[in-house]
Amino acid sequence: MATPSLRGRLPRLANPRKTLKPNKPLILANRVGERRREKGEATCITEMSVMMACWKENEFRDSACKKEIQDFFECASRTQEARKMRSIQDTLGESGSLSPKKMNKLLQRFPNKPHLS
Amino acid sequence: MAAPVLKALRSGLGLVPGVPCAVWRVPGPAQVRWSRYGPEFRDPLVDKEHYRKPETELTEEEKYDQELKKTQLIKAAPATTTCSVFADPVISKFTNMMMKGGNKILARSLVTQTLEAVKRKQFEKYHAASAEEQATIERNPYIIFHQALKNCEPVIGLVPILKGGHFYQVPVPLPDRRRRFLAMKWMITECRDNKHRRTLMPEKLSHELLQAFHSQGPVIKRKQDMHKMAEANRALAHYRWW
Repeated sequence: MATPSLRGRLPRLANPRKTLKPNKPLILANRVGERRREKGEATCITEMSVMMACWKENEFRDSACKKEIQDFFECASRTQEARKMRSIQDTLGESGSLSPKKMNKLLQRFPNKPHLS
Repeated sequence: MAAPVLKALRSGLGLVPGVPCAVWRVPGPAQVRWSRYGPEFRDPLVDKEHYRKPETELTEEEKYDQELKKTQLIKAAPATTTCSVFADPVISKFTNMMMKGGNKILARSLVTQTLEAVKRKQFEKYHAASAEEQATIERNPYIIFHQALKNCEPVIGLVPILKGGHFYQVPVPLPDRRRRFLAMKWMITECRDNKHRRTLMPEKLSHELLQAFHSQGPVIKRKQDMHKMAEANRALAHYRWW
């Protein structure tokens, strides 16, 4: 169903309808809400479990598990770079409207005027 | 409808789509916390070879860069930068971590005495050893220092994550700088806390560094305890979201 209409919702003597009684003044704030972040999932689990199995066999000596440790580091650096690329993509390329962070920065510089002069 | 608004805003604020803009810059790894320099300041270049090159050997790019630097603002180089061949970034970082109350002179003297102590111990061992063993004994204190710290670096770290009202220690891959920091921190803490009161820091540090070089000693044990805890908590790895 579409958003219910806000026409005639303030409490007045001549208003027979159900009214809204807001506890804060109806003035636009100088910020917009943030985008809901996507639920990420844990990365490099397979490399980590392989490395830990190797550790269990070799009494946690690093000299015996060099290859697994190297794979784990490479996986970690790959995911780190992928995250950086994704965040750069988000900040640089917004199709349509501005991202919430930039909109907030803009509104901070040019805030809403609740007074008249 | 929104796209023309965005374009008008961008041109209104003086930003051109192709040019990297200073205002919306994503903080990269080179930024320092609360630096008083504005974004127009360039980093200084401390390199003797670069400035010793005669005029004729410069490429077009370098000539342009030199001319540009005459008009641009450049940050002041920190007092610790040198172009000396003896300057080692790992040793500098370690000295800064040892420093207390800004007493860099004392910290630096302690580190030089430590390296000297390491060298003396290794030379004693060398002269007392037979010919085959002499080939295996490492006498360069810088190599011993670097290898010891590399042996102390943890591979995986633990991070407290709040889930369902409880904090769980979740195994997490650490970035390189965090691992180097932990190795140095553990080394210094071990030498400061768990030794006899009257022993001097260079003596304690040289002993610990030599033990770590051979993958023995309390710092290596602490690293292995961290690995064991991570291994015990490996099922909690799914609590991570990165």
